[in-house]
Amino acid sequence: MVNGGYTGKILRVDLTKGDFKVESLPTEWVLKYIGGDGFAARLLYDEVPARTDPLSPENKLLIATGPITGTLWPMSGRTVFVSKAAQTGIWGESHVGGFLGPELKYAGYDMLVVEGRSENPVHISIHDGDLELIDATPHWGMRTDEVTAAMRKHHNDPDVQVGAIGPAGEQLVRFASVIVNNARAAGRTGMGAVLGSKNVKTISIRGHGSVEVAEHEEFFKLAKKAHQKVRQNPQAREMGKWGTWILTAVKQEIGELPTFNHRTGVFSGWESLSGEYIRPRFTVSDRACFGCSLGCKKMNYIPDGPYAGTLEEGPEYEGLMAFGSLLGIDDYPTTLKANQICNKYGMDIISVGSTIAFAMECYENGIIDDSDTGGVPLEWGNTESAIKILQMIASREGFGDILAEGSKIASEKIGKGSEAYAIHVKGLEVSGQDGRTHRSIGLSHATSARGADHLRSLVVVDQLGYEKVAAERWGVDKLPEILNPYTEQYKATAVVETENTYCIRDTLIVCWYSVSWPPVFWMSDFAEMLPLATGIDAFGDVTTLVEIGERQLNLKRLFNAREGITRKDDQLPKRFTHEPMPEGPGKGQVVDLESLLDDYYRLRGWDPETGLPTKETLRRLSLE
Amino acid sequence: MPSRLSVDYTKCTGCRICELACSAKNEGRFQPSIARLKIVKYDDLGLDIPHVCSPCEEAPCVEICPVYAMRQDPISKMTYLDEDKCILCKSCVGVCVNGVILLDTVRMRIIKCDHCDGDPECAKVCPTGAIHYGSISKLTTIERHAKIGTYLDEIKRVAEKSTGEA
Ligand code: SF4
Ligand code: SF4
Ligand code: SF4
Ligand code: SF4
Repeated sequence: MVNGGYTGKILRVDLTKGDFKVESLPTEWVLKYIGGDGFAARLLYDEVPARTDPLSPENKLLIATGPITGTLWPMSGRTVFVSKAAQTGIWGESHVGGFLGPELKYAGYDMLVVEGRSENPVHISIHDGDLELIDATPHWGMRTDEVTAAMRKHHNDPDVQVGAIGPAGEQLVRFASVIVNNARAAGRTGMGAVLGSKNVKTISIRGHGSVEVAEHEEFFKLAKKAHQKVRQNPQAREMGKWGTWILTAVKQEIGELPTFNHRTGVFSGWESLSGEYIRPRFTVSDRACFGCSLGCKKMNYIPDGPYAGTLEEGPEYEGLMAFGSLLGIDDYPTTLKANQICNKYGMDIISVGSTIAFAMECYENGIIDDSDTGGVPLEWGNTESAIKILQMIASREGFGDILAEGSKIASEKIGKGSEAYAIHVKGLEVSGQDGRTHRSIGLSHATSARGADHLRSLVVVDQLGYEKVAAERWGVDKLPEILNPYTEQYKATAVVETENTYCIRDTLIVCWYSVSWPPVFWMSDFAEMLPLATGIDAFGDVTTLVEIGERQLNLKRLFNAREGITRKDDQLPKRFTHEPMPEGPGKGQVVDLESLLDDYYRLRGWDPETGLPTKETLRRLSLE
Repeated sequence: MPSRLSVDYTKCTGCRICELACSAKNEGRFQPSIARLKIVKYDDLGLDIPHVCSPCEEAPCVEICPVYAMRQDPISKMTYLDEDKCILCKSCVGVCVNGVILLDTVRMRIIKCDHCDGDPECAKVCPTGAIHYGSISKLTTIERHAKIGTYLDEIKRVAEKSTGEA
């Protein structure tokens, strides 16, 4: 039995045996997990046992969708890659926009599970019911854009959607990504390395089927209304114009633009990394993911200078940060060039940028020198060096081979106190925020399932001071403290509530930019929409949705617990807890993480000593 | 002047909301592959080009149809299909200048835009105004083509100049 919105099928490909299998979606999953991250967490927990080497055939990689993937609901074209992470050895997930997820639904599957390991390089090709493994030997070594074009040509169909790894994934670079539509990246945690270890070059999908919801007319009407809501939201319109570049100026103003490997949050060269500078000079077109009326993607083109002729989307704010301020680089064309290399070779721009920042700080402090780097002067702000070392990482050449392991492993190999400059949590490099100027993100970075993550629980309402929203969500009694970014007070409350909502966002699956910032939709909107899509009335109740969100989150925690993760791992780099912010509006601030953790575990129903779900919590969520 | 669908390539973001809405309205489900219009995407260039039945001044689909199942209204220029007459020869599918006539292989019928009887869903849902319904002047069409031409020329110029290597 399948409900509205779902295809009711899971497709499995066993690369070792070379065969495909279609299974029914377990119906009990629907009520307990809704879809997306929820389904993926259940499957990964059940099928990838503790201590599995992420790069071994025993690891699995899943692509999951949700009940509204492929419908007209705004920004519902996103999909998630899940696996035991190549970079961290714990829970790994990476969401991506573009057009891949809807195509999987149209081909007739809610989920794809990739298992085993192929002897030779292959493409996984899914055309509705036609399933095949195609020899990828001739394509091994190709960049993602080349192999995407090659697959479309092979099938003689420009609408084939391709998820591809580049040379970095083949080389098992720990933070290798999967690229869809040339420039949209399932970037974080090393999904590209997992595919590379399985000898999979691309997953190519084409579907001619449909997604049918339970109440078509009502859903259609509501979805159109929801699009109007996006189109009329003033902040969403700004986002559509400037993309995530809008953040650079905001971050600089509040003193939270990570600079010089997170040493400070103030960057003198911020202006040339801002939307107002970039758009009029370099942007040639606005683009969107499937079903998105906001359209934050920008195609950009460099007309002159050393990187003349670079035509590429992005980078997002995170990329501007990782190859701009974080390295002391105040040159947009360099960040676009870096983004192009990351897209074509298939690497996560956040992790690779941060790992280079780590190396630059080691270089500054004499821990490494030219004899280590192969003569590349890793000085702050040196654009040529940044691009050069990036290329070396992509091909694991020379010193690039060490950095291709990510900052945690690289610092362990280099030693000599370099660990202090590896800015990561659980092996994942810290994204473009700073707990010192925004306490709640400090807690997010420390506790998120995949490591230093800004996407699972970043609260924006506190930082931007939306009083009305804060009062509605968390209660007037918590004002004004909850809106003060410099205190620990009530921050766990904000993080927990936000995180539960984002869990639902990640089951549907909809884009960050329709929920998180700007806050266009929240739980009640999903509660109104989901029964129309699925025909399941229980989803119309926000408390039920909260419980489903909690269940997903706890299941991810259990996955990590099995790998040995406890409170001792929910830590931040000392930079955020012991080095006061040196300048800017947040001057002197540090994070008091332990008090945040105490509050968070209490609200989550986790043991304060171990940081793990208590028996009662597991029973309440039917997870025993 | 009668109304037409007109498109502005420079505004289109490639979101395919129009395809979704077209199938939702005409088929009662979400199935872009049988939408009556098509977004052709060039991810490498950052271009998205909507293909719609405008319709043509002199419509090849009408001219080629051997049984006069495809007809054109002399005033509105609107082309429409009389399904009862159609013998499924697929001549129109091959000849449509915009590639927007489809054969539905499941239900064995020709699928073609009927301008939603004068109330086009696609134009209403398009968030950017890339699809517009109303009278159009030839001049604006030419200007738009010129803009794309300049863009492509510039890309070609730099491609020739540089190595093109990432
Ligand atoms: S807001 Fe941006 S990332 Fe999100 S769906 Fe739209 S285009 Fe994609
Ligand atoms: S269906 Fe095609 S050929 Fe016929 S009028 Fe429309 S665009 Fe022209
Ligand atoms: S006018 Fe109507 S039938 Fe024609 S493409 Fe637009 S939505 Fe589809
Ligand atoms: S809805 Fe408008 S912007 Fe989106 S793909 Fe269609 S024509 Fe382009």
